[in-house]
Amino acid sequence: MFKWSDSHKQLRMMLRKFVDAEVVPQIDAIEHEGAPPYDVLRKFWKTFGIGDMLVGEYKARRKKAEARAAAGGSGSGGGEAADAGSKKKPDPSAALDQGAMRALPIIELSRHSAGMVTALGVSMGLTPNAIIARGTPAQQDAYVPALLTLDKIGAWAITEPGSGSDAFGAMRATAKPDGDDHFILNGNKTFITNGPYADVIIFICKLDRGEPPERRKIVSFILDGEMEGLERSKPLRKMGLHGSPTGEIFASDLRVPISRLVGERVDDEDAGSARDDAKKTFTAERSGVLAMALGMIERAQELSLEYARTRVQFGKPIGERQLIQLKLAKMEVARQNVENMLFKTIESTAHGEPPDIAAASAGKLYAAQAAMEVCLEAVQVFGGNGYMAEYRVEQLARDAKVLQIYGGTDEIQVSQIARSLLWR
Amino acid sequence: MKILVTAKRVPDPEQKVKVQGDAIDLSGMNFVVNPFDEYAVEAALRLKESSGAVDEIVVLTIGSKDVTQQLRSCLAMGADRGILVEGDDDSLDSEQTARIIKAVYERESPDLLLMGKQAVDGDNNQVAQLVAGKLDLPQACFAGQLELEGDASAITVGREIDGGMEFKKVPLPSVVTVDLRIVMPTAVKTAGSKDNQEYAEGPRYASLKGIMQAKKKKIDEISVGDLGVELEQWVKTTSVETPPSRSAGIKVESVDELVDKLQNEAKVL
Ligand SMILES: Cc1cc2nc3c(=O)[nH]c(=O)nc-3n(C[C@H](O)[C@H](O)[C@H](O)COP(=O)(O)OP(=O)(O)OC[C@H]3O[C@@H](n4cnc5c(N)ncnc54)[C@H](O)[C@@H]3O)c2cc1C
Repeated sequence: MFKWSDSHKQLRMMLRKFVDAEVVPQIDAIEHEGAPPYDVLRKFWKTFGIGDMLVGEYKARRKKAEARAAAGGSGSGGGEAADAGSKKKPDPSAALDQGAMRALPIIELSRHSAGMVTALGVSMGLTPNAIIARGTPAQQDAYVPALLTLDKIGAWAITEPGSGSDAFGAMRATAKPDGDDHFILNGNKTFITNGPYADVIIFICKLDRGEPPERRKIVSFILDGEMEGLERSKPLRKMGLHGSPTGEIFASDLRVPISRLVGERVDDEDAGSARDDAKKTFTAERSGVLAMALGMIERAQELSLEYARTRVQFGKPIGERQLIQLKLAKMEVARQNVENMLFKTIESTAHGEPPDIAAASAGKLYAAQAAMEVCLEAVQVFGGNGYMAEYRVEQLARDAKVLQIYGGTDEIQVSQIARSLLWR
Repeated sequence: MKILVTAKRVPDPEQKVKVQGDAIDLSGMNFVVNPFDEYAVEAALRLKESSGAVDEIVVLTIGSKDVTQQLRSCLAMGADRGILVEGDDDSLDSEQTARIIKAVYERESPDLLLMGKQAVDGDNNQVAQLVAGKLDLPQACFAGQLELEGDASAITVGREIDGGMEFKKVPLPSVVTVDLRIVMPTAVKTAGSKDNQEYAEGPRYASLKGIMQAKKKKIDEISVGDLGVELEQWVKTTSVETPPSRSAGIKVESVDELVDKLQNEAKVL
């Protein structure tokens, strides 16, 4: 069974040292004063050479896919999709390291700011993945490396005021062809992570060629942060996740050349579409939530244990009371479960069998709820201090709530799990 | 050119020290590389990167198998090879340590022996000087700056003194120890350094790639017997005690009260 190796633990210590030295001193500015998180995130990425490593991995994948395509396969870009088609299974030990190296920075950063992790994950995860999955080589060259290294900040926009869980069905944003090689975009997007600051925005909308809305194809465009016809709101005020600026994006008669259409062509009929890519994105988001939840649970538990040992009431440390012990024990159960789920995901992915959508949904549902419960109970262990920002557990509790909402709400995970059980 | 760097494992200086009986209680302690040794590794890496004259950086540590972890973290920073001399680092005094390092030096014949100025656990600041004496090599301690000659025949060592810096040029091979300032942005120079070359202050973090590559780097394990070193303990610890805790301070209302207390309670006036 997979567990952290000595080098993973060593990496973890390094990451923690960096986070303590570089992130923690800025946490108040980022969490309470609206300072954008990007400079610290860039430093994080650069210090550990993560961006360059990701670019290296991406280029290797792309080269393999192109070689396969040249040999007569059906290569489309260098994405995970192309990888999945490969007969060769990845070398498990290198792949285990790769899984651990993806998870550990998320875990360590989540201990202090789930918001920063979200800003990071959208910028170097969702956004480049959308371009890798279907973009032309020229589009990939222009955007992917810069996004992976955080030289450019990315945003991924699907949600609209009227379409959230029903992301495709209720989507109103449209792209209308304008001549042979241009499109006119219209639509409002909301809750867009990094929206206010992004350099690159993936704008997902429906292609309107006059057909009724339910038959329209889903397409996505690569927009720049500053363009005529594009407006962005300031960061919205939120319950938590303050380390991640979230905003609205408005496109009004925004005219773009076809070179901004991801893939530069509309795949007619079921050759796969931006809809499938978006679905894959949801699955990827879900495994990221496991690592985030683990970091938050570990931190909440650590803080609670220390407080339970040292806070004395009625002449005894509160940790000697069974009601407090129950909370601490439940935190440990949650921690073990989430860690095991993460380990299993890393291990099965390394053996070429990543979790399917139902398994990913089950993991996300459990981890989000566990994180919420643990972090709220941590506030309770701290009593009045828990309600005060200084003790940090209130931030964990506010931040944990979002795990049950984005990347598919708890309710949507439930229905996906149940459907796969009932009608598999 | 080959650089031999020594690295000792020490209890994390940020933890509270617990005394148990006549010894420091090391159970449950987190261990780290002695900070000054980490600076020595950083200095060696900077010499290698900017000069192009350094072929290999070898890191030497003495201790139990557990110390492999700290050795790996030096390799993860970028050092090329490790040597672990198996021994009980708790009971080694400076003389024994120096004998072991001398023996390894003779096996490896490096061009530069780079060491931290002292280990932050015992704060002895003796080993480098003893080694240099035993090997009859030039020594330059407390380097805050280093500049390597183009032909790697000598190194200029800058050390902080009252009111400024003092520079000494020592021929290689020699023994050099480093002080805190060696990790300042422009503290290490070689003929290959660019004019405005600046490093981030402090020892580097190992990159993700570095950490994974470190797993594959070679660590030679040698016993004290293999080295043919006779160990006799010169320094024995007879007891360990925590310093008496200081009583809490008080606030005085007036100067008169202060003078009165200084006279009658503290009896310093
Ligand atoms: C901090 C934050 C960052 C975000 N970042 C992004 C981003 O970068 N890009 C982006 O595109 N979006 C982003 N989102 C949007 C997010 O994906 C949506 O909020 C989420 O999908 C839920 O949609 P909704 O808010 O419209 O809620 P709704 O879909 O309106 O849901 C309201 C309630 O109804 C329930 N519900 C809905 N449908 C069903 C059903 N069929 N059965 C049972 N219950 C149902 C939901 O579970 C929920 O409890 C972000 C959201 C937040 C809070």
